[in-house]
Amino acid sequence: MGDASRLLADYGPAFGQALFLTWKLTLASFVPGFLLGVVVAVLRLLPLPPLRFALTVYVEIFRNIPSVALLIFIVFALPDLNVVIDYEPSVVLTLVLVCSAFTADYVRTGINTVDGGQIEAALSLGMRPITVITSVVLPQALRAVVQPMTSLLIALMLSTSLASQVPFPGRELTALVAKIANDSAAGMAAFALAAALYVASGLLIAWAGATLEKKVRILR
Amino acid sequence: MSIPSVLKSAVAALALVASGSLFAQGTPINAAAFDALVAQGPVADAATIAASPWASKIKQAGTLRLGGTQTSNLFSLLNEKDGKARGFDAGLAQLITRYILGDASKVQFTQVTSSTREQVLINNQVDMVLATYSITPARAEKISFAGPYYTSQAGVLVKASNTAIKSYTDLADKKVATQAGSTGPAILAQYAPKAVVQEFQTHQEALDALRQGRVDAYVTDYTLLLNVLSLGTGDAKLAGAPFGAQDPYGIGLPKGSDGVAFVNAFLKKVEADGTWAKLWTISIGQRTGSTAVPTPPAIP
Amino acid sequence: MSRTLEDILFGAPRPRAIAITRVMSVVAAGVLLLMAAGIVARFRSAGQLDGRLWEFFGWQTTWAFLAKGLLGTLASAAMAGVIALTLGLLLLLGRLAPSRLLRWPSIAVIEFLRGTPTLLLIYVCFLVLPSVGIKISTYWMLTLPIGLSTAAVVAEVYRAGVLAVPRGQTDAALSLGMTPIQGFFLIVFPQAVRYIVPALVAQLVIVVKDTTFGYVVTYGELMQNAKVLIANYHSLVPVYLVVAALYCLVNYATSWASRRLGRPVH
Repeated sequence: MGDASRLLADYGPAFGQALFLTWKLTLASFVPGFLLGVVVAVLRLLPLPPLRFALTVYVEIFRNIPSVALLIFIVFALPDLNVVIDYEPSVVLTLVLVCSAFTADYVRTGINTVDGGQIEAALSLGMRPITVITSVVLPQALRAVVQPMTSLLIALMLSTSLASQVPFPGRELTALVAKIANDSAAGMAAFALAAALYVASGLLIAWAGATLEKKVRILR
Repeated sequence: MSIPSVLKSAVAALALVASGSLFAQGTPINAAAFDALVAQGPVADAATIAASPWASKIKQAGTLRLGGTQTSNLFSLLNEKDGKARGFDAGLAQLITRYILGDASKVQFTQVTSSTREQVLINNQVDMVLATYSITPARAEKISFAGPYYTSQAGVLVKASNTAIKSYTDLADKKVATQAGSTGPAILAQYAPKAVVQEFQTHQEALDALRQGRVDAYVTDYTLLLNVLSLGTGDAKLAGAPFGAQDPYGIGLPKGSDGVAFVNAFLKKVEADGTWAKLWTISIGQRTGSTAVPTPPAIP
Repeated sequence: MSRTLEDILFGAPRPRAIAITRVMSVVAAGVLLLMAAGIVARFRSAGQLDGRLWEFFGWQTTWAFLAKGLLGTLASAAMAGVIALTLGLLLLLGRLAPSRLLRWPSIAVIEFLRGTPTLLLIYVCFLVLPSVGIKISTYWMLTLPIGLSTAAVVAEVYRAGVLAVPRGQTDAALSLGMTPIQGFFLIVFPQAVRYIVPALVAQLVIVVKDTTFGYVVTYGELMQNAKVLIANYHSLVPVYLVVAALYCLVNYATSWASRRLGRPVH
């Protein structure tokens, strides 16, 4: 156990910073990604075939492209198109795009759980379709997909390990473990600690998600 | 219409006049001369190989597992059309393979980067690493080096339009690219401690970062920079003369391996019979416009 | 309820609404075309439409080279998929076991593998395991972590499927004299799998995506060969675009195949 205590002595603060960076990236990508995904899901409902087609292509692209490939494209290829984005925003952008594609899909399944009769009733009350979507469909849809969105948030947190693949200012947990493993023999202890931090964060999110789901789920 | 012709016409239809400069290709290597040089390389006799466990193991396996690069213009670039890598490092690797196995093509290649070079030797994923690998004491703790087979100082590369940086002394507070795991970070720490360093995994990525304006300068081995300049498109220039200590390139081998003695004997052989000089001329000299063949460094 | 949601929301519009929708469609199409044109113009002004950067895509050798890379990707993905599906089943059985001795370790393993990033596990195989004496080949350094990581998720997917099978099926099997194991493998599990085929295939897509980390352990796959092409032809944007498109196509085809498979067979 001398390994572990030495590790904490040398790298304790670094682990704290790395954990903070991981969380920061997670939240910075989830919030815009989630909002963008909801917007995409709603827009796909509109009866405009060109728009639906374009958004379907968008979702399929960002669901199927490997995140690393997307990140490398943004960091290394976009500048050749005269779009130079700094490293941290590039990582966030990659995660936002991927998150929005999956969110759009999950929200869609949530929308499908809303009974058609409710919509007909709302329309017959004189509500306009857009109001029906925002007041009737969306609230119920979001309440129905808390569980997959929780999984998505956990997956997003794990995906922040991507940041280790570009010259990122600062190290998140995975990059820190790689550096410690390269520079010293404490790789195993570092991995154990980082894994513990990841798993703990994931369980925390899962617990929060389960609690939220119990509170807002719709029993039919 | 067959698919290739459809592809060709589609591609031709897309061709428009290029505008920007692109740090373009440059004198390609004389493939015929390179292949001929490798084909006439020495082959070790059975006694020499039997005397070295490292070489015997390779001979028994029938292939040499090489860790190298396929994307370095001067030192080892893979031509995907014929599947052969050519360059200074590639040439040496093929000559060593021919020396042990009699056939320069019996190579099992693994692409390594500056951050994976030591680990692949430690993990026994490869038999040796030839990849512009600078000998440093820190690395020598994890692995062993044969050679040196080449030396180079560091240089600073900037865009042609950059007048602010005239030498390594002007790098304070500037964004400088270097290769991760190379001697670049240490050199910068010593000569330009106030520079903002960004580390990249490969030479190509660092070069692209300079071209794309992500960094103001690129510090790496002088020879690599000469190659960029030899392309003559005027996009980049050297800022100041080469500086720093002579950086020795070595051949990475597993720690404590007897292959070190074996490879050193091989290096002395090819340096004595002029193969080293010819290889340098074909892969570096003719392509950077340098005619003075350097003397190979002394091997301890 | 055979009508889709959009149908109910926007179906049977008044004539004026139909006209507005048509106009908006044309406007939307126009805007999208403008955006596409803008992107093409940007490509052109950055010199990325230069023939020199695209001409090598007309050569067969280029595609053969990319295909070799893709083969590396698929070789790793296929094995990782196999590991995930079989190990996932083992973990599931442990998870569902009546005995606590089997259940708790299974849960711990599942939570551990699910809760850590695949990239971290890959780094461990590459950097950490060798330092404690465990040396595996390059191929396994990539395939094993991906397989393990996905196995945990697959176990949970299996479990969701098993929980969705009505309890009555198990009861009926037991009352017919089957042992619990027979009941599980002959009655419950086949039905469970049919529910979850799309989710399983989604995991396979993730496995393919994870193989792009091959360069971390120096495994040669598609991204690697892309870098060689870039170094040879200095063609960053076109090569990355084509490679990204290839990945999207492979994954999309896999998902599409699953949708075909998932069509009910009654």
